[in-house]
Amino acid sequence: MTFTPRHRRYTPQQTGVPRPNWNAIRAVIHKDNLAIRRSKAVMIPMLVVPTILLVVVPFLIGLTARGKDAGVESMLRALPSNLTAPITSLPEAQQLLVLINGYLLAPLFLIVPLMVSSVLAADAFAGEKERRTMEALLHLPISNRDLFIAKLLGAFIPAVAISWIGFVVFAVVTNAVGWSVMHRIFIPTKLWTVVILWVAPAVAMLGLGVMVRVSARTRTTQEANQLGGAVVLPLIFLAVGQSTGLMLLDLPVALAIGAVIWAVALWLVVRGARLFTRDKIATQV
Amino acid sequence: MDPVILADGISRSFPSGRALDSLSLQVNRGEVLALLGPNGAGKTTTVRILNGVLAPDSGEALVLGLNPLREGDELRRRTGVLTENAGLDDRLSARENLEFVARVRGFTKAAAGLKAAEALERFGLADRADFPVQGASTGQRKRLALARALIHDPEVLFLDEPTSGLDPAATREVMALISSLAQQDGRTVILCTHFLGEAGRLADRMAVLYKGQLQAIGRPQDLASEMWPGIPARIELSRPADARVLGIVRRVEGVLEALSTDEGLRIESTHHDVLSQVIAALLRAKIMVYAAIPDPYSLEDVYFAIEAQAIANETLPESEQPIKVSTAAHHDRQVGTT
Repeated sequence: MTFTPRHRRYTPQQTGVPRPNWNAIRAVIHKDNLAIRRSKAVMIPMLVVPTILLVVVPFLIGLTARGKDAGVESMLRALPSNLTAPITSLPEAQQLLVLINGYLLAPLFLIVPLMVSSVLAADAFAGEKERRTMEALLHLPISNRDLFIAKLLGAFIPAVAISWIGFVVFAVVTNAVGWSVMHRIFIPTKLWTVVILWVAPAVAMLGLGVMVRVSARTRTTQEANQLGGAVVLPLIFLAVGQSTGLMLLDLPVALAIGAVIWAVALWLVVRGARLFTRDKIATQV
Repeated sequence: MDPVILADGISRSFPSGRALDSLSLQVNRGEVLALLGPNGAGKTTTVRILNGVLAPDSGEALVLGLNPLREGDELRRRTGVLTENAGLDDRLSARENLEFVARVRGFTKAAAGLKAAEALERFGLADRADFPVQGASTGQRKRLALARALIHDPEVLFLDEPTSGLDPAATREVMALISSLAQQDGRTVILCTHFLGEAGRLADRMAVLYKGQLQAIGRPQDLASEMWPGIPARIELSRPADARVLGIVRRVEGVLEALSTDEGLRIESTHHDVLSQVIAALLRAKIMVYAAIPDPYSLEDVYFAIEAQAIANETLPESEQPIKVSTAAHHDRQVGTT
């Protein structure tokens, strides 16, 4: 058992791409989710924000819409008439409810997948370093790629699940509270369907992509959240602000925005994956 | 001789400096090797490289016949590591921490549950099994981390500072555990520590690292005999030996050195039976001898001598630095001058 020393850095020799070890991936996801569910510091903001956005706000809007002075003519007049035509054509009593809950809340809703995925990713990547549990993880028989996939899915799946569950709750609340005004189920709209199924997962992935990069440079969850928030939130608010008007009616624009977010998110994730090697991580723990 | 770990000229640098400098060593199956050195000596870096967590800048390693980088996952399936920081998830219970590791190591859910239960029982943690780790004492955490490192019955066990942060009672408890583990099933153990007492009790051989360089490797007694050619013994006279006593002792054939101590004298001789001749000479001279005890150099003596030598070497120009100590007893690779 002898060998000739070769004074160079190792280069892994791979013969084909090995299949993911789903047993190990599932174990990491399960462990991370179990730990998250027991962390009040993570769970409280993750539940409070969606509750406000998806339950409290639509409920209050629904109640307001029942009032006599619920007209939104002045608001609609400020927008291009070709965009507001489907709303202005509705009975006046329905306009507020449809405008806010049917359209304007849709881009705002994207804060939910973004926030949830960012918080979970910060805990999964920077949090492992902060808790000093990362090194023990690196000594386990799970490849860099599988560990990265596990960490990614461990944040992505709950972010999308919370968004979708949140949307179902939102739809139930909005339709219930607005029934006396609308006399029909008006959520989900086509726009909401695109937002939920296409844009929300993209935004969740975007949050992940940013936090993966940010976590590689930070040592604590708090640092990661602060830095990640500083990068992502202004972009999102800008995007929301810019897109709200367009998304009122233009479904292809919503699809296109989703595609752009997906592209940026996947680019960030792929770049992040390259930084996620045992060697790089071990030098930081 | 069944080499389990081979390292050949491994070096690794970080932005903060060189952590490991041309480390070469061999560890055989069933052996306990103590990797000794002060903080920053390169012990943890060595473990990380040997287990495929860090890549060396140069040099190569084989552990259990596997390349740690190219076949890292396969290797890590057969090794267990106790990291310096226990690295347990505080939010999970002891059982959940163990089940998680067992699942990653390929056990089915049911088997992982069984393995975790066995390990909790074996390491005396059954009563804490379902409590969050957050409330556990440092000793309980170390035991749990040890249980985690051993849950798959590894062939090679890396223990990085297993007793750091423990109180004396917990240290004794953990050491007893490690001692029993080291004696089981021909398991190879690499024990990184700067606590020399525990190394002396457990290790078959010692390797001393200083600023990333291997200073010496071998059995403590072999290293001692290379540094100090004599066999040491302590002779108690109830008073320091005077010039007359020292003169009598030095005249005995085989005595290399005789030095006065508070209670008598300390000698170094060429053979063990020289001690009885020294006692006879003292008694003939009517000098009362209360005790004569062989007093071999401890691992601690050897370590500090090697470290002192390493510190002294630092001040010498490279060309004048002496060859480092390496015993041939286990066919180690020669560690040359730097």
